[in-house]
Amino acid sequence: MKQILLITDGCSNVGVSPIVAAAHAREEGITVNVVGVVDQGAIGELGAAEIAQIAKAGGGMDRIVQPHQLSQTIQMMTRKTVVQTIHQVVERELRQILHTDATHIEDLPPQQRSEVVKVMDELTETSELQVALLIDASASMKPKLQAVEEAIRDLMLSLQARQGKSEIAVFHFPGRASDETVMDLDWTQDLSGVGSLFRRMQMRGATPTGPAIYKVIEFIQYDRMVGSDPGFRNQSETDGMLGDYVV
Amino acid sequence: MTTSFNASSSLAPGTWIEGKWHHRRYLVERLLGRGANGAVYLVRRGRGTELAALKIGYDAVDLQSEINVLTTLATHQNKSDRRMRNSASRPFLLDVDDYKLGQMDMQFYVMRYVEGVTLHQYMEKNGPEWMGLIGYRLLQKLVELHEAGYVFGDLKPENIMVSSYGQVELVDYGGVSRIGRSVKQFTERYDRGYWNAGSRAADPGYDLFAFAVLWLHVMDGARLRRQGPDQLPQVRSANDLINLAHTHIRLKSYESWFKRAISGQFASSHEACSEWKQAAIRSGSKISSPPIRRHTPGWLKGIFVASIILLGSTLYIILQSN
Repeated sequence: MKQILLITDGCSNVGVSPIVAAAHAREEGITVNVVGVVDQGAIGELGAAEIAQIAKAGGGMDRIVQPHQLSQTIQMMTRKTVVQTIHQVVERELRQILHTDATHIEDLPPQQRSEVVKVMDELTETSELQVALLIDASASMKPKLQAVEEAIRDLMLSLQARQGKSEIAVFHFPGRASDETVMDLDWTQDLSGVGSLFRRMQMRGATPTGPAIYKVIEFIQYDRMVGSDPGFRNQSETDGMLGDYVV
Repeated sequence: MTTSFNASSSLAPGTWIEGKWHHRRYLVERLLGRGANGAVYLVRRGRGTELAALKIGYDAVDLQSEINVLTTLATHQNKSDRRMRNSASRPFLLDVDDYKLGQMDMQFYVMRYVEGVTLHQYMEKNGPEWMGLIGYRLLQKLVELHEAGYVFGDLKPENIMVSSYGQVELVDYGGVSRIGRSVKQFTERYDRGYWNAGSRAADPGYDLFAFAVLWLHVMDGARLRRQGPDQLPQVRSANDLINLAHTHIRLKSYESWFKRAISGQFASSHEACSEWKQAAIRSGSKISSPPIRRHTPGWLKGIFVASIILLGSTLYIILQSN
């Protein structure tokens, strides 16, 4: 199971529409969830609408929250998305497995429903899961990055408790060039030795959300980033070295 | 996600709910509360006067998952009841069915209605002396759950109902998770992971940790808040919690219990339960245990001050006249 979790605080303004990118992700079997994070005040009508649209196109959920709600929100979203994905898969197979006319789990008589849900709970817990976190690092996000990092570590903690293999990877955008998406962390199952996630972030004004989603789709599909920043490999090496003394 | 019931909508008192499969009828009295998985109503069963609690799920799968847990627990409880000849506990799960409202099918289950008030309300009204006994009964409930192979998960004051002389019931089984899996639902304040004190895997120690923080909250909420949300996540630690227990006058007898629960040192919840009982009895038998601060009425304080002044002036006059 593959998910992209986009954390942003406003509108995209460069490159392909993030809604197209999210729809494409869904086509590839990747669910896109979006969290809008606001400090004070609102996120703006335009931003909120875009966030809802991206999630809808990506088959996922959207929430707009304060920084202190971030941990709980992304944990809940990730879990619900897993349940939902399994729900869809099971409903597709329902007819074949049970030889019923029921197309929804709700239509099954209680005893059968109980059995199906048991299987779903099992799958929820044991299926493999990959979550790619994509962080908007435009200038306005800077004061919220501490909360974002805390939430990512918290998510890892929740995923580690699962029985199935669970991995996360972390990206931010833009990088040094405005169309660049930087990998902060390659697929990992453990963050305990990893130092600060966003040390080398350079805050910029542009928000190329669409292109960034495409980059992550590419990464998930091929396990590499074509034409990516040559510095990113170096960065993972530095991460390893720093990991020893950064708590 | 198929949300079959809007989280904000609620059924009006006087609504009849009839099951689609078992055709039992329930009359809605009022909304009791909302959990993560659904809304709970107080209902009357059929034409009778017997009260029950009816939970309507927001999502069929989430609710069914909760029902599955309750069914397993009921089977386990029946076994242990026969073993212990304990017929006092009536069955918890009474009915499971669907309710058709317009085009929507809503899933519900009916359970025993648990009377009482939440832990916070009870403690506020009846005082901290009840901690030992209520805690002991709560631990017994947890032991029972753990022995059936589950942890409660989302242990918090709102999920604990207390009645009469400290009778305890756990409500909202939405967070109950099988041992060895991940904890389904939790509340940050009582979560072991939040305090950097361990994983979010469901093991009996998870509940014991939440139990310890729960009592720190009930007994000394103000100091707990200073340790939690106001701190940076990196410095939040189990040691701060142990320190809270260590420095609280009412928790003195339980100091080592809290230390072991918070640092995950109990071998089993059974052990934790019997140690708690010993601490409660020890604490109760001590005369030196701190007296409860009963509220002294203002007029009494006034009279006391007046009498002191009167005494002083009388002495002064006597001494002067000599």
